[in-house]
Amino acid sequence: MGRGAGREYSPAATTAENGGGKKKQKEKELDELKKEVAMDDHKLSLDELGRKYQVDLSKGLTNQRAQDVLARDGPNALTPPPTTPEWVKFCRQLFGGFSILLWIGAILCFLAYGIQAAMEDEPSNDNLYLGVVLAAVVIVTGCFSYYQEAKSSKIMDSFKNMVPQQALVIREGEKMQINAEEVVVGDLVEVKGGDRVPADLRIISSHGCKVDNSSLTGESEPQTRSPEFTHENPLETRNICFFSTNCVEGTARGIVIATGDRTVMGRIATLASGLEVGRTPIAMEIEHFIQLITGVAVFLGVSFFVLSLILGYSWLEAVIFLIGIIVANVPEGLLATVTVCLTLTAKRMARKNCLVKNLEAVETLGSTSTICSDKTGTLTQNRMTVAHMWFDNQIHEADTTEDQSGATFDKRSPTWTALSRIAGLCNRAVFKAGQENISVSKRDTAGDASESALLKCIELSCGSVRKMRDRNPKVAEIPFNSTNKYQLSIHEREDSPQSHVLVMKGAPERILDRCSTILVQGKEIPLDKEMQDAFQNAYMELGGLGERVLGFCQLNLPSGKFPRGFKFDTDELNFPTEKLCFVGLMSMIDPPRAAVPDAVGKCRSAGIKVIMVTGDHPITAKAIAKGVGIISEGNETVEDIAARLNIPMSQVNPREAKACVVHGSDLKDMTSEQLDEILKNHTEIVFARTSPQQKLIIVEGCQRQGAIVAVTGDGVNDSPALKKADIGIAMGISGSDVSKQAADMILLDDNFASIVTGVEEGRLIFDNLKKSIAYTLTSNIPEITPFLLFIIANIPLPLGTVTILCIDLGTDMVPAISLAYEAAESDIMKRQPRNSQTDKLVNERLISMAYGQIGMIQALGGFFTYFVILAENGFLPSRLLGIRLDWDDRTMNDLEDSYGQEWTYEQRKVVEFTCHTAFFASIVVVQWADLIICKTRRNSVFQQGMKNKILIFGLLEETALAAFLSYCPGMGVALRMYPLKVTWWFCAFPYSLLIFIYDEVRKLILRRYPGGWVEKETYY
Amino acid sequence: MVIQKEKKSCGQVVEEWKEFVWNPRTHQFMGRTGTSWAFILLFYLVFYGFLTAMFTLTMWVMLQTVSDHTPKYQDRLATPGLMIRPKTENLDVIVNVSDTESWDQHVQKLNKFLEPYNDSIQAQKNDVCRPGRYYEQPDNGVLNYPKRACQFNRTQLGNCSGIGDSTHYGYSTGQPCVFIKMNRVINFYAGANQSMNVTCAGKRDEDAENLGNFVMFPANGNIDLMYFPYYGKKFHVNYTQPLVAVKFLNVTPNVEVNVECRINAANIATDDERDKFAGRVAFKLRINKT
Repeated sequence: MGRGAGREYSPAATTAENGGGKKKQKEKELDELKKEVAMDDHKLSLDELGRKYQVDLSKGLTNQRAQDVLARDGPNALTPPPTTPEWVKFCRQLFGGFSILLWIGAILCFLAYGIQAAMEDEPSNDNLYLGVVLAAVVIVTGCFSYYQEAKSSKIMDSFKNMVPQQALVIREGEKMQINAEEVVVGDLVEVKGGDRVPADLRIISSHGCKVDNSSLTGESEPQTRSPEFTHENPLETRNICFFSTNCVEGTARGIVIATGDRTVMGRIATLASGLEVGRTPIAMEIEHFIQLITGVAVFLGVSFFVLSLILGYSWLEAVIFLIGIIVANVPEGLLATVTVCLTLTAKRMARKNCLVKNLEAVETLGSTSTICSDKTGTLTQNRMTVAHMWFDNQIHEADTTEDQSGATFDKRSPTWTALSRIAGLCNRAVFKAGQENISVSKRDTAGDASESALLKCIELSCGSVRKMRDRNPKVAEIPFNSTNKYQLSIHEREDSPQSHVLVMKGAPERILDRCSTILVQGKEIPLDKEMQDAFQNAYMELGGLGERVLGFCQLNLPSGKFPRGFKFDTDELNFPTEKLCFVGLMSMIDPPRAAVPDAVGKCRSAGIKVIMVTGDHPITAKAIAKGVGIISEGNETVEDIAARLNIPMSQVNPREAKACVVHGSDLKDMTSEQLDEILKNHTEIVFARTSPQQKLIIVEGCQRQGAIVAVTGDGVNDSPALKKADIGIAMGISGSDVSKQAADMILLDDNFASIVTGVEEGRLIFDNLKKSIAYTLTSNIPEITPFLLFIIANIPLPLGTVTILCIDLGTDMVPAISLAYEAAESDIMKRQPRNSQTDKLVNERLISMAYGQIGMIQALGGFFTYFVILAENGFLPSRLLGIRLDWDDRTMNDLEDSYGQEWTYEQRKVVEFTCHTAFFASIVVVQWADLIICKTRRNSVFQQGMKNKILIFGLLEETALAAFLSYCPGMGVALRMYPLKVTWWFCAFPYSLLIFIYDEVRKLILRRYPGGWVEKETYY
Repeated sequence: MVIQKEKKSCGQVVEEWKEFVWNPRTHQFMGRTGTSWAFILLFYLVFYGFLTAMFTLTMWVMLQTVSDHTPKYQDRLATPGLMIRPKTENLDVIVNVSDTESWDQHVQKLNKFLEPYNDSIQAQKNDVCRPGRYYEQPDNGVLNYPKRACQFNRTQLGNCSGIGDSTHYGYSTGQPCVFIKMNRVINFYAGANQSMNVTCAGKRDEDAENLGNFVMFPANGNIDLMYFPYYGKKFHVNYTQPLVAVKFLNVTPNVEVNVECRINAANIATDDERDKFAGRVAFKLRINKT
């Protein structure tokens, strides 16, 4: 493992390696990074260490040497991932996905205009305008979505911690405070409680040092750091501190063994930025949609190209027609509609605490089929809480809910009084000042997590601990250390003016060893075999719940021997520490968040597999998994079955166990086939003691199963998995910057339950986008058919470019967007996640419905209006067929109509444009019905109701807009749209009604005969 | 998600397409089996059959409401347009005096156009009306049908009538006749009971100079009221449209002359900005002489 282990390489070599730029090389590096961390510094003795890094272990580096190394290795900072330049981001918005279609349309328009300009003296400007409008639409929507994403990345930036880190180094024997970036390999560094570790350190001396490695390993418990080498695995051994982890308490000195990108953390960050990011599901859906639309457009275009050649048009005319038809198939407004719909949903999600960095991720969440969730902080409250107590030979349950609404227990027992006194007194944790108004469970404390848990528990049940301590002043104390495994203090007793009480807490078995009696119902009774068994059972039971158990005992010191003022010597131990009185056990756990079990249940009914991936111990992980329902009640792991049947684990058929707890060390030795096996055969999986690299392997495994994977994470260690996942979800409160950078989405409240609302929104928008697209596409047919009939039947053009644009970019917009607000038809969280292979956003059935059926009715409605207007003005349908050439001849100023009247060019053009306006109005009328039928895909409108206010507004708005365009004075000059006679509005009404009735009948059959022919052919 | 899709080879794509067009295993043609195609085609056949029926029905109902003799709306025909004969391409009357073929087609067209105006035909079909007043034939409750029309004799066109004319309406001598007609509009009382006439002029000053003299037939370019109102093609079967002939006598040769003729009538506006042919007509005249 070239990068981590050896110090031999020089930066030049590294660049050469990277500079090779060969893809294989890079892949190989990535694979190596995925493997476990390998280093040997923790195995070296201090002397060897000093020699290796050429450093004096007491005086540190010389300034000169430090400068040399700094020049060689560069600053101690993570190289930020290469940020995409803003203009690239902007171009991606301009030319990505859907926009391409519109650009091609625009180019074709310009091409057609070019041909016309070269061919005719007075080319009509329609194609030029259309091209300009298409380009404008793409640019405006591009700017809009760029602006939206820029806004959410601004929120991202606000998370960034701008305070520069400081580090305390010893150089030439002098302590000096320097910028953490200037720390170099070999530096002698001192860290103390509250500091961030400035680089990877090999500890050479320590004083009760504990570090919080959760951002690296996910383990929430602080871990002791000391110079001893305790484990082969550098992540587990005690004598290494890692870059960017936190020192919780104590002090330590260490030699820097790696800086910047070469640290363990740095390598993980590099791993994350080296991963390729694939396309989102919605991007693939849109590509599929574009293929379909292009297919239809080219098919129509080419058929009419051939047809027009047969009809005797010239080659160039036919080419113009071909381009015209292809361009007419482009749904101009759809890009904007889709963008706005996604934006609206993103906003709605942000309100529910899901901040989406990338618009397309909105839908990805909806298609998620597997969630790999962190434990700490996401599923749990990230706050140690007393969960159980054992006293009076009985297990009592404490309240672990966030808002203290849970069950409580009988507090009248004198044993409880004693236990609470010990827990309160033999406890160094204190509340930080100035938090009187905050509820106890949410207050910040100074001190160790379990002591804080005890403090809060006692504060809640017995009132102020501070007052209790004031009444029972401490006279002596032995703090916890790893050899004793207990903590002891002696206090003056408030209830007896002369005597003291000795209170002790610690590892239960050690405490029990020191006791000879036990307090039951306030009476001391001898600790016999029976009581010891009872203790063992309780201890095992609580331990089995994954809880951290502490034992408590006390001794009332006789006032004769130890009067007030007696000098207790904690070194000489001039007081008894044996034959004490055992009082009880208290156990603590980081309890699940209140909303999580519900959310996990929802995920399950929504067909989403929830996998827990944690660095914690298997027992704790399993307990929490059971608590939140990731391992559901009644499901057993192989171990459980073995224990129940009392047979060895090898005899259990692994297929019988639906649940499974996989240990990280097992995972390390598994082949990917074995992992696939596990992922396939178990529905409820917990991965415990996993390293960050393994998380990545798990995600890849899930993706091999074809799952769309969402990964939650907060630590730097999670960032590769976040990046690799289809949707990475970072934590807003506890998450590190690196993880937020790598994620697609950020949970502002760190709550797993928010993901579920996100999934719901994502699924809803997928459904609603379908409806929106169905609505928008339908009007394509009444827009194209006029042109087709113009070509083959030689009638005056029924609908012009301007009016088509008025529909696509005007009247259709608000209604299409309003469908994004449509409520779900059924409980979308009760169905399986969509299968990305079969359940497409736009499928052939949708096209068949929109184009083949509803669109055709709409077109007939429009044509009817067109024929009515021309007939009422003197041109009966029979006269119109074949009239085109004369009609469009500017010099033909005495064109005869069916009644023998003669028309000038301008006079008949006014009538033609009136027809365009009326055709446009008719499309609006038939689109009313279309909008109402698109509200639902299966239910009747009468079941669904008309509760969508935006949709009703959309109906009114499109009508008002159409009326405005028709009647506003000056429109005849500006857009060539003319006022309509009132009766012409009603021509399309029968067709509108037909659409409504037809679709209601179709949906009725759909509901009556599920799986029938109608469903197979028309359910989109 | 890392992209795992590999580039398909050309052969594979062709294979896939082949299989899509005809899948021998499932007997699917273009993704559907025979029965499936039959069902969907039958469905669309019935569906479109129904739509056609519905469309035909609505069209039939609409045609029932349309009257036979006057269109429902005439508001777009408030001002009748003017037009010239012969109708040439781009309304350019170009005469190469020496080149017979350049104007022969115009002459042919005019001969054909003026044929119904022959005095014999007019006398046979139409009435002699009293000039200076409208020839109204109201229905008075009963359908008065067919309506009679007034005579417009070809001889009224004088030198431009082309009768016994060896100059071919003047085209062979470089003194061409251009005929001006006003668009028919049903029930339109042109002139509002006052006499009206057509006048022509060069569009700009230099055009006026180059245009030279011209004579009009009937005299002054008068159009008589007796030819109005028009009752429509179906009722007014033999209606003869009044004409004004303009004979340009000495147009400056080899120069393009823009001529504009307009009607002077009390109820016909000739100043429509957008419609250049409302109550007027503009054309180009060019006499090429070597």
